[in-house]
Amino acid sequence: MANDFNHRALTVSQQIYRALLRAYPRGHREEYGPAMAHLFRDQCREAWSEARGWGLTRLWLRTVPDVVNTSVAEQLAAFNPRKSMSDKMSALFRPLTSPSSAFFTAFIAVFLLVLGTSILITFILPESYASTAKIRVESDDAKGASGAGSKLYDPYFIQTEFEVLQSQLVLNPVIQRLNLQVNWGKRYYNGEKLKTAEVLVLLKGRLRLTPVRNTSIIEITVYSEDRHEAAELANAIAESYRDYRAKAHAELVSKGMAALLQQFAEQETELRQLQARTEDFRQKFKIASDAVAIQASAEQPYWELKQQLEQRLDLQRLLTAKIDAAKLDAQMPRTLVQIIDTAEPGRAPVRPNKPLDIMIGAVAGGGLGLLAGAASALFSARFGGRGRKPVAAG
Amino acid sequence: MANSKSDSQNLLPLTPAVFHVLLALAGGELHGYAIMQEVALHTDGQIKMGPGTLYGTVKRLLEARLIEESDERPDPQLDDDRRRYYRLTGVGEEAVRAEAQRYAQIVELARGKKLIRKPA
Repeated sequence: MANDFNHRALTVSQQIYRALLRAYPRGHREEYGPAMAHLFRDQCREAWSEARGWGLTRLWLRTVPDVVNTSVAEQLAAFNPRKSMSDKMSALFRPLTSPSSAFFTAFIAVFLLVLGTSILITFILPESYASTAKIRVESDDAKGASGAGSKLYDPYFIQTEFEVLQSQLVLNPVIQRLNLQVNWGKRYYNGEKLKTAEVLVLLKGRLRLTPVRNTSIIEITVYSEDRHEAAELANAIAESYRDYRAKAHAELVSKGMAALLQQFAEQETELRQLQARTEDFRQKFKIASDAVAIQASAEQPYWELKQQLEQRLDLQRLLTAKIDAAKLDAQMPRTLVQIIDTAEPGRAPVRPNKPLDIMIGAVAGGGLGLLAGAASALFSARFGGRGRKPVAAG
Repeated sequence: MANSKSDSQNLLPLTPAVFHVLLALAGGELHGYAIMQEVALHTDGQIKMGPGTLYGTVKRLLEARLIEESDERPDPQLDDDRRRYYRLTGVGEEAVRAEAQRYAQIVELARGKKLIRKPA
């Protein structure tokens, strides 16, 4: 992969240089273009072997002004063919001192430098594919299958779930399942196995979560230089989140059920005690079991106990109903997260955005070129004179 | 010979780029990349000629007949046949010699004024 990258950086540089050769007059290009391209290729290789990307950048920083200066000189020479040796030599080396030529040279140099750099960076940057999985999410508070519970609006629900989606609870199982510690270690760190925390940082950097407006749908987008891996990661994250929510919900239901059963058991004990006391009072006052309440002061404690007993029995019936509802919920698992679109491998890379990057480079180059040209023309008008003649007249 | 010497004297002083290219070719015929490397070596990397400057200079030196293209290859088996080799002409040799002599005179003058010392 590193070799491919090297090869691409050098190939793209050479392609750009061959395109820049069009700045020279046709005659010069036809005669010397192949040799210049060949020389540039040798320089690229040397620069890469010396300092890799930085070497290549330094080479371009030298080459762009070289192309600008010499292509302008060759174009001028092509317009004004000179006969004598000294004229030909001086045409190449005479400084361009008139304000208009100073403006033109500075503008072209800066424009090409900025544009060339942006093109170079755009083509050197590794390509990245994006894959998106869509999930529909529902909060635990939403109405259950049994019809129990209430639907509460939580304004922070989606933001909270975004944080959950990027948490270790969801991403660690993805890292383990896809063996990213080993696979990414091989790819990015010469085979050294990465720590889970390191992979987590890398994975978060490739993950983008987007809510779909006015819905409870979340888009999980993952970027990778491997289009299949991008899709695999997006789907794995969606599945891991679904599993996490299902497990969390099951735990919640289970804990709720345990609390209800415990409450039921406590109620049952108190109910038995109350029943026993009521029965004692009934026998003590010799009251028939189907007797109706009589407001007699001697029997008053019995009737009060009986009223309490009936209230307890109502509560017990209510608890039994709740337990039945909870059991029904547990038997009919709710789909809190539904994967509505699985991620597919992208067809074309989404990063870098070549047309946009190059356009930004051209606009920035044009702006900076105008500034540099104006400064150069001003300087030339103030301090410029006729250029020296480096070679004696023949 | 007298004419070529006169021609070469007329060309002086040479620009540093031209002088360095001729100086590089004084050691024998070279291709473009080798000229560039030789110039960089002679100048401690201070002059790194780009392809545009190098082949612009070469073009004008060819037109002025100070150098010529060579058809011979040092080792055709090992060398890339797309490379173009150049060598000095008689006039070119005279020119670089005269320019070197001119530099030597300047150095002597500077020594006379104690601006520089003789190397130990």
